[in-house]
Amino acid sequence: MKIFNDIGNYFLLMFRVFEKPEKHSIYWRQTIMEIDKLGIQSIGIVAIISVFMGGIITLQLTYNMTNPLMPTYLIGLGNRDTLILEFSCTILSLMLAGKVGSNIASEIGSMRVTEQIDSLELMGVNSASFLILPKIVAVVFISPILFIFSVFCGIIGGLIAGPSVGVVTVAQYMSGIRTMFVPHYVSFSILKTLVFGFLIATVPSYWGYYVQGGALEVGKASTRSVVSTSILILFFDLVLTQLLFK
Amino acid sequence: MIEIKKIRKSFENRDIIKDISTVFEKGKTNLIIGQSGSGKTVLLKSIVRLIEVEEGEILFDGRDIRRMNFRDLKKLRQEMGMVFQGGALFDSLNVADNVRFPMDMFTNMTAAEKNRHVDFCLDRVNIKGSHHLFPSEISGGMRKRVSIARAIALNPKYLFCDEPNSGLDPVTSILIDNLIKEITVEFDITTLINTHDMNSVMEIGDNILFISTGEKSWEGNSTQVLFTRNKKLNEFVFASPLSKRIRDLKQREDDE
Repeated sequence: MKIFNDIGNYFLLMFRVFEKPEKHSIYWRQTIMEIDKLGIQSIGIVAIISVFMGGIITLQLTYNMTNPLMPTYLIGLGNRDTLILEFSCTILSLMLAGKVGSNIASEIGSMRVTEQIDSLELMGVNSASFLILPKIVAVVFISPILFIFSVFCGIIGGLIAGPSVGVVTVAQYMSGIRTMFVPHYVSFSILKTLVFGFLIATVPSYWGYYVQGGALEVGKASTRSVVSTSILILFFDLVLTQLLFK
Repeated sequence: MIEIKKIRKSFENRDIIKDISTVFEKGKTNLIIGQSGSGKTVLLKSIVRLIEVEEGEILFDGRDIRRMNFRDLKKLRQEMGMVFQGGALFDSLNVADNVRFPMDMFTNMTAAEKNRHVDFCLDRVNIKGSHHLFPSEISGGMRKRVSIARAIALNPKYLFCDEPNSGLDPVTSILIDNLIKEITVEFDITTLINTHDMNSVMEIGDNILFISTGEKSWEGNSTQVLFTRNKKLNEFVFASPLSKRIRDLKQREDDE
């Protein structure tokens, strides 16, 4: 029964989040700060993971598809499509659910237990909207940018790893990158990142906003937010893949 | 003026607030006293509707906060200031920005006007030269004072203080008490203070409401509190041998 209670409370919270802001200029300023904190400061980790994953995917494809009948350009093509279709949207979102999600849950949870949220309410501020809306806008805005950046870094990773170990030449790899490009894959993945971005911002916010207790509960809320966001990302990945590729 | 009529609140079928009625007067410091766990904080948070009560009326100059929709509630809350137990300052903002926050949110003041008003509020609570410090960089007493400065930033009609002296040394406690008293008289506001600090009771208790296990047990002022026959209140007020000696000395003085 608790799950239904949580779902109901989540939607009630969302109704409050999307109410008209008290002052747009303040919300705008908050949004810019959140873009920096949640998005820009994630660029480094996204770059590192994507470069390595691009390299690893390239090597795995090479070693597992060694066949004289198989054209070598398939290595570049395989790396590109893996990055676009799953890695740079789904796996990256799972990683962001850990980094950004725990940050959001612990930040809002700490504000709850130290009565900062009560303080906002007492001033007449819609605390749900003030704290959560800028995070939603920031994460939803930055997610597609991080996705494109991740694909780019992954391709670079493959370009470094493949030719450097001698399993594929730069020309063969780049030929694969340009072969049979399907633009729908990109729009499909961007749509997925928008949905995942919304989940990454709202689910941890929900767990943080309703924390009761002290530091221990904030920690639990943070863990719960990462677990539930990850499960929801995978669930929506399955649903969207079925809907958009049918 | 704030009037509460027969308010009741329970958690998990356990009554925490039982049919409390009273009037908190304007321009006076109204104290809610009682032992830890007696329901003081629940009562205070119920009055400002941070906690929803099950029964009763809570009237702010005749306006029932319980019947208000979300929009009207937000408007009424702009007339309130609250000092929370731990200060509840925003960690990400420095002292000046914490005080400026309500002005940013609800006024159309220019930057220069806001700066002047921030200086005025911080001056009023005797804070100078600490505008740029963050809450983690200041002492507990200073945090309380900044919290008071933020609470008075929009000239509230109602001021609520939840244990403003908790965790403070006696000297700082007296400073905070006097500050709240001065502000109450100066701005003619209705002030409610939750406390179990006997010094506050004696120094600034214009009206005192004593609650015990969620019930109103006694009501009076700081002079009456010394000579009450209410057993529970006597146990609370004269819990320490020192306070008993003070009472005896005062009694002897009065007799002479």
